[in-house]
Amino acid sequence: MIDLKDFKTRLKIAKDKFKNDSIITNNNENGSFMGTAFKLGTELVSAVLVGTIIGFILDTWFDTKPWLIILFFFLGSIAGILNVIKAANRMQKKD
Amino acid sequence: MATNPMHQFEVHRIGPEIKIAGIDLSFTNASLFMLLSATAICIILFLGTKEKKLIPGKFQLIAEIFYNFIAKMISDTAGSKAKPYFPFIFSLFMFVLFCNMLGMLPYSFTVTSHIIVTLLMAIFIFIAVTVIGFLKHGFGYLKLFVPSGVPIFLLPLITIIEIISYLSRPVSLSVRLFANMMAGHTMLKVFGGFVVSLGMLGGWLPLGFSVALTGLEILVAFLQAYVFAILTCIYLNDALNLHH
Repeated sequence: MIDLKDFKTRLKIAKDKFKNDSIITNNNENGSFMGTAFKLGTELVSAVLVGTIIGFILDTWFDTKPWLIILFFFLGSIAGILNVIKAANRMQKKD
Repeated sequence: MATNPMHQFEVHRIGPEIKIAGIDLSFTNASLFMLLSATAICIILFLGTKEKKLIPGKFQLIAEIFYNFIAKMISDTAGSKAKPYFPFIFSLFMFVLFCNMLGMLPYSFTVTSHIIVTLLMAIFIFIAVTVIGFLKHGFGYLKLFVPSGVPIFLLPLITIIEIISYLSRPVSLSVRLFANMMAGHTMLKVFGGFVVSLGMLGGWLPLGFSVALTGLEILVAFLQAYVFAILTCIYLNDALNLHH
């Protein structure tokens, strides 16, 4: 059996060291930052794609080719930009 | 055929053909690698939780690191209300991570490089989050599509845009994971092909690229699993705490 008292003091020393080590926390933030950076591109493209698909479906539904697909392409682009702005806001909130 | 960079993504049958009600349910290499990653996760977590020591061994340390990592991520992004969904997000992260990492082994198959796999997961998350949102807030969940402080004549337009933005979530979630994995593996194979075709004389440069790309791909494999899980948390946060 390991000496628990000895272990507790050792744990405390290690924990204090950990608190002073700012490098570890820094590294962590860097990783999540890169994670959020990776997703901005698809955020924009996917909204355009979804908008266009909705436009296409509505067009075949109402027989109004090609007007709704054009309209929803632009709406999708706006939604994509909105997505990117939201994601960027989220990134800023974290800091 | 060996130099075709897309050959590695081919799904082929292992063992006998199984057909139930006209649907092909045969065991494929994709199923094999899904099974392998699920088994690997179970073995590691089983070994990690078998002996609960005060001073953890290697496997217990791995299990604890994974647990802490996900628990911290959930409490940071979705708050304490998301605690009941920990098992789901944990399994999701582990599955995507292990599929990505097993795909990095030579001669293996990357399950997450197929859009049908990632899209299925993303659509499941999307539907689950929507159902949770409606269960928690009733029809008040629709307020998500109506931002406050918008002039009344702009409201229909903004609502349509918000709905498109909401519907684009599963697409961006799945396409991101699938595209990253597929592009990375294709690139590795292309550079590998350059090494072979340039031979001893000129093959060293692409070989160096291949080595560097492998490192990058391992980073991407982890990062994409992380992004997949953290976005699930963010969507869950929108459904649970509805006020922005």
